[in-house]
Amino acid sequence: MAYVTSVGLVRVDRNYYKSPRDLAFEAASKAIEDVKLDTIDYVIVTSSLTYLQASQFDLAAYIARELGVNVRSAFTVEAGENSGLAGVEVALNLIRSHAAERILLVGVDKLTEYISNRTYKMIQAIYDTESDAVYNVGHAGPMALLMRLYMDRYGVDRETLAHWPVMMHTHGKENPYAMLRFKVTPDKVVNAMPIAEPITLLDAYPLGDGAAAVLLSSEDQGGDHLAKLSEVYSSIGFQSIALRDDPLSFEAVGQIAREAGLNPEDIDVAEIHDSFTITGILLLEELGFAPRGKAAEMVAEGAFTKGGSGPLVNASGGLKARGHPKGATGVYMLAEVAMQLAGTFPGIRADSPRKGIAVGVNAHGSSARLAFLEAL
Amino acid sequence: MANSENKQVINAGIVGWGAYIPMYRLPTREIARVWGWPEHQYKALNVSHKAVDGPDEDSTTMGYEAAYNALLRSGIDPKMIGAVFFGSESKVYAVKPSATLIAEMIGATPDTMASDLEFACRAGSEGLKASLGLVSSGMVKYALAIGSDTSQAEPGDVLEFTASSGAAAFIVGPRSESAAIVEDTYTYVTDTPDFWRRAEKPYPRHGEGFTGEPAYFYHIMGAVKGLFEKTGLKPDDFDYAIFHQPNGKFPLKVAQRLRFPKEKVLPGLVTPYIGNTYNASALLGLARVLDQAKPGQRILLAPFGSGAGSDAYSIVVTDLVEERQDKAPKVDDYLARSYEIDYALYAKFRRIYVMLPRG
Amino acid sequence: MVLPVWWRKRIPRYRFVGALCKDCGRIHYPPRNACPYCGSRNLELVPLPRRGVLESYSIVYSVPGDNRLNAPLPIGLVRLENGVRVVAELTDVVPEKLEKGIEVEAVIRRIGEDGETGTILYGVKFRPALGRK
Repeated sequence: MAYVTSVGLVRVDRNYYKSPRDLAFEAASKAIEDVKLDTIDYVIVTSSLTYLQASQFDLAAYIARELGVNVRSAFTVEAGENSGLAGVEVALNLIRSHAAERILLVGVDKLTEYISNRTYKMIQAIYDTESDAVYNVGHAGPMALLMRLYMDRYGVDRETLAHWPVMMHTHGKENPYAMLRFKVTPDKVVNAMPIAEPITLLDAYPLGDGAAAVLLSSEDQGGDHLAKLSEVYSSIGFQSIALRDDPLSFEAVGQIAREAGLNPEDIDVAEIHDSFTITGILLLEELGFAPRGKAAEMVAEGAFTKGGSGPLVNASGGLKARGHPKGATGVYMLAEVAMQLAGTFPGIRADSPRKGIAVGVNAHGSSARLAFLEAL
Repeated sequence: MANSENKQVINAGIVGWGAYIPMYRLPTREIARVWGWPEHQYKALNVSHKAVDGPDEDSTTMGYEAAYNALLRSGIDPKMIGAVFFGSESKVYAVKPSATLIAEMIGATPDTMASDLEFACRAGSEGLKASLGLVSSGMVKYALAIGSDTSQAEPGDVLEFTASSGAAAFIVGPRSESAAIVEDTYTYVTDTPDFWRRAEKPYPRHGEGFTGEPAYFYHIMGAVKGLFEKTGLKPDDFDYAIFHQPNGKFPLKVAQRLRFPKEKVLPGLVTPYIGNTYNASALLGLARVLDQAKPGQRILLAPFGSGAGSDAYSIVVTDLVEERQDKAPKVDDYLARSYEIDYALYAKFRRIYVMLPRG
Repeated sequence: MVLPVWWRKRIPRYRFVGALCKDCGRIHYPPRNACPYCGSRNLELVPLPRRGVLESYSIVYSVPGDNRLNAPLPIGLVRLENGVRVVAELTDVVPEKLEKGIEVEAVIRRIGEDGETGTILYGVKFRPALGRK
């Protein structure tokens, strides 16, 4: 295990003024400003778009060099939308194997560096570029196919599904690091501009820029910490929804939930991947937070907001409202869950939470990761 | 008449035929509305709509589907095809064969000839005739001849009323396997500049009325009369007459001059519904006639290409035709599959709007 | 230039060929290095049925890349007659007739273009099936 010692977040936004390296610098500086450090063993940068956008190789070394701290090693981890938690997994294992005492994890990505159609082309590469993404499926297409399947199979209507983004915006409104800080109504979600029918603009994560940093320490490091990072579970899934016997099953998520022995009643807070409304809904069900076909109804009943019957889910506003700067998202999640457990999250807070999880996937679940955290 | 063509038995015929017509239809009245033509200008053409290729279609994809349909009807293994000829004046590459693309798509590669032919609207027919020669001589067992075009016309030019998109394809094989045998052919060409497109220019030019008498009529009459003379056949011997159909008027007029009654022309006349598909024009007519022909019937086919030349064929339907008619979609299936668009969408699909590269 | 990238995968795309796993008996498309179900490398290329049923569809408005000409883009999840599923673009779709359960068939269309001067990529799309088999 390892400790989450400190975090540094940049508000997700259309940040035209800063480059990916500027954003990474800002988040990393915040994370280490209050911690006295001589040496950081590893700087692990998680990013999936920066190489394309800034035409920069060895990004982590360039970012690390600017921190003004002695850094032994730096490298970049890429796992698409799941890059952030992949970085967490690597960091935890380095600390656990005593290869490192202190690791600074920096997630960064920008989605507004280019005009939207070019960005859509880049980010559709989260899907298999040798099958589904040979076509112009866009960033939302395959998930839209799943949303329609889900609605038909379980007889869930469009309006009920709209309660997910409604909840995310309600949560995000209280989070100073969230990109979208306004409330929406189900009606607004349903009637928003279509992105990939039946997905509307308000079902989809916004295109925004962000960076998040987390300092992880080994057990031997004294001082104050925010939370304990106990374990990261990881699995990989099919290359395409077309290969699954049930296209709606995120088998990689189910796998890690089983491995973790996840019992929803034990979890107080969760940050889960909700690139689109349907992703959030399917993850809730795959994690066992809701029976199949019932997640949207439970969301509408307030089960996953403060005071609800289930865990507090996505108090940050989720990918939907906090934002989803790809490679940075998992690092945001880790920071948010750690702050919840430490009682320092600057938004909606769970009451004395003990256990929290951060769950990420790439695309339709080509990979999945679950980070398990505990209060100190 | 001095005759360069030997009278001999052509030991080959049409084993399979296939058609393709894109779904979109532009009414000719839309073109008149946009460009300010009076009704008289286009009504006389006897073309109500023209077929328009969708934004993801081109002469290759259309030619492929026609070839695939021809293969379905033939029932042969595509590996046995020894030659692929692609006749078009709207090739997607100025340099790089479309024939290899289609040969690869249908599975005829690598053991085959493949080349693109150009002779305005007549290249597909020349491919058919060359195929007959190759098969008849025993050099190859089967050959594939395709005529396919997404015809160009300058916006605002009268040509725009008729220039349309479509494809037809024929698997030529041994006489014994043929659904229709080719009794004889006769070709008639001269240098006549009735219609042309200069290299690297997007649209063709034409000589208006000059495309009629000295070009279309002179060459088709020459070819058909040459065939009659060579074979001793006369109009009464034919059940169908199919001519190149640049509009809905010329084929009926040339039929009248050659003394073919209208009823023998109409089954193979598709231009009034879809416009002039250039290299597929008369060949789509042949495909439609084969879709409905009875064993023993005789067909006159006379494609024409500007520049200029015409081929006349005498084709006799065999007993094998009926079992093959339902093995692939028919011309009428494609005619029925239609979706009307306006000029604005047509201009988008045809990439007439000036767009700068982006993304 | 993306020449070799497109070229080396042309056969399955042109001929709609899948891979049959000779160990577990399942078929997938496009062919991969190993069976996605059992990991076997004992694969054989097999032609796929061209007809199937549209299980789900979407109209994509957030059009990626240089695709305004094709916008909006219909895509679908197709279940072929042998049960194999494919995610692909749809074509020749009349929006008001697009619905789940319709029969669709594989056709070859342009699926990409390497700019105005580059090569053209062809591959399988699905359209509402014509009346006859």
